[in-house]
Amino acid sequence: MTGSRDAGAPAVELAGIAIAFTLSDRSTYRAVQGIDLQVAAGEFVAIVGPTGCGKSTLLNASAGLLQPSAGTVRIFGTPLAGLNRRAGYLFQQDALMPWKTALDNVAVALEPAGIGRGEARARALEWLGRVGLKGFADRYPHMLSGGQRKRVALAQILIRDPEILLMDEPFGPLDAQTRQIMGNLLLDLWAADRKAVLFVTHDLEEAIALADRVIVMSAGPAAGLIGDHPVPLARPRDIAEIRLDPEFHAIHRTIWGSLRAEVQRAYAQGEAAP
Amino acid sequence: MNRAVLLALQLLVALAFLLLWHVLTTVPIGGRKLLDPFFFSTPLDVLARTWKDLAGGELWRHLGITLLETVLAFATGATGGILLGFAFARRALLAAVFDPYVKAANALPRVVLAPIFALWFGLGIWSKVALGFTLVFFIVFFNVYQGVREVSPTVLANARMLGMNERQLMRHVYWPAALTWMFSSLHTSVGFALVGAVVGEYLGSAGGLGYKIQQAESVFDVTGVFSGMLVLTVFVILLDAVVTAIEKRLLVWRPAPATATS
Repeated sequence: MTGSRDAGAPAVELAGIAIAFTLSDRSTYRAVQGIDLQVAAGEFVAIVGPTGCGKSTLLNASAGLLQPSAGTVRIFGTPLAGLNRRAGYLFQQDALMPWKTALDNVAVALEPAGIGRGEARARALEWLGRVGLKGFADRYPHMLSGGQRKRVALAQILIRDPEILLMDEPFGPLDAQTRQIMGNLLLDLWAADRKAVLFVTHDLEEAIALADRVIVMSAGPAAGLIGDHPVPLARPRDIAEIRLDPEFHAIHRTIWGSLRAEVQRAYAQGEAAP
Repeated sequence: MNRAVLLALQLLVALAFLLLWHVLTTVPIGGRKLLDPFFFSTPLDVLARTWKDLAGGELWRHLGITLLETVLAFATGATGGILLGFAFARRALLAAVFDPYVKAANALPRVVLAPIFALWFGLGIWSKVALGFTLVFFIVFFNVYQGVREVSPTVLANARMLGMNERQLMRHVYWPAALTWMFSSLHTSVGFALVGAVVGEYLGSAGGLGYKIQQAESVFDVTGVFSGMLVLTVFVILLDAVVTAIEKRLLVWRPAPATATS
């Protein structure tokens, strides 16, 4: 039960996870079922799947924001109780405090660690520089573009130096060019100290370009994992250029083969739904 | 339309109104004045009376009393509203148990409490503060309650994932969210603090603008009543300008300047 890193234990381990929700009409919706997944320390794992398959649900369970109805979440070998203190979570929606400036939003992340205001602000300024926002410290979130807000959020997560990064379609709301820039920024920052990453996306190309391993999820309800594909592309990678690599295409073809049927199934369900 | 033209048009409306009032009360039309100055006074009389009162100094004492009552009513009402709003929003059981009583208390027309307060707190300023309190409290209470409960779940989850404890969540998330809602109702609550003060004075007191108006009314001094109303109106406009200035300073982070004055 100590917080120390158990050598060899995976950073995140989901064992037999099932998650169910009680709907408003008291019926139960089984979102995911029988999930076994391990993310090694320093490994970048992406989960792809059709919309609404429960990818984010898995992330919330790994973060401790959601209690699975069955199974165990282990963080570096220790069963997770309460919130996952060793993880940073990058949300899909805007999660910055709108009443704080970019600088204060990043600096406040150090307050729970008991770091003084002066030092926190100095380190926050340094982090804003690292994500390319040095001149934007005094801006409030509404004065920043969507991409800039994501950069602030990224700095807010990384300044705490978590051992695990959980990312829920973080670049989903951004335009194509900004997504590429953010992807490269993420890879650069990640390369510095290789944290374990669990990255959820519905964009297969993004998943292959970023990750060491791509996990494919089936369409819900009771979604499960139906594919585990290694991505042996060399690092460092450039998100834009790697898409032209023939090997990238081969991997894409393989994974898309298993994903396509699920996407069609999810789409058919969506069409059939009342 | 540019500002100067707009301002000119606005002034024109005021002048037209005053002119109409003046003509109807002073110029005989068809052998008689359409409005009897005894009941309607005249604009010049009202201005002259107001000027005399302001120069006399007695009016300033009344203004001071009303201002003090307004400020105290707002401060106590807002403090109570914030504390209880927070408590109710964070303790679901408390909110559920007291819900019907809060609604019932809010449904009561507060004016009927004025005589009771006069009985309990005397004819001095405190009975007026109490009346203003009951008006301000509920506005702030409902807004803070709403504000705390409607914090974005993502912002809250993010703050928790950053490792914030309950106290830090309070300070960095709940409190600013509640303040936003409180400020959105600031104009209304300051207005109601003033209503509480003036109505309280009107119903029984020995000083304040409400008292002055009531005194004038009791001797059919319509000029005095209108003069009191004029002073009250200017006072409210100035108070509102102060509130707007405070709001602008404290809500700099908001996307659009708050225009809602519900």
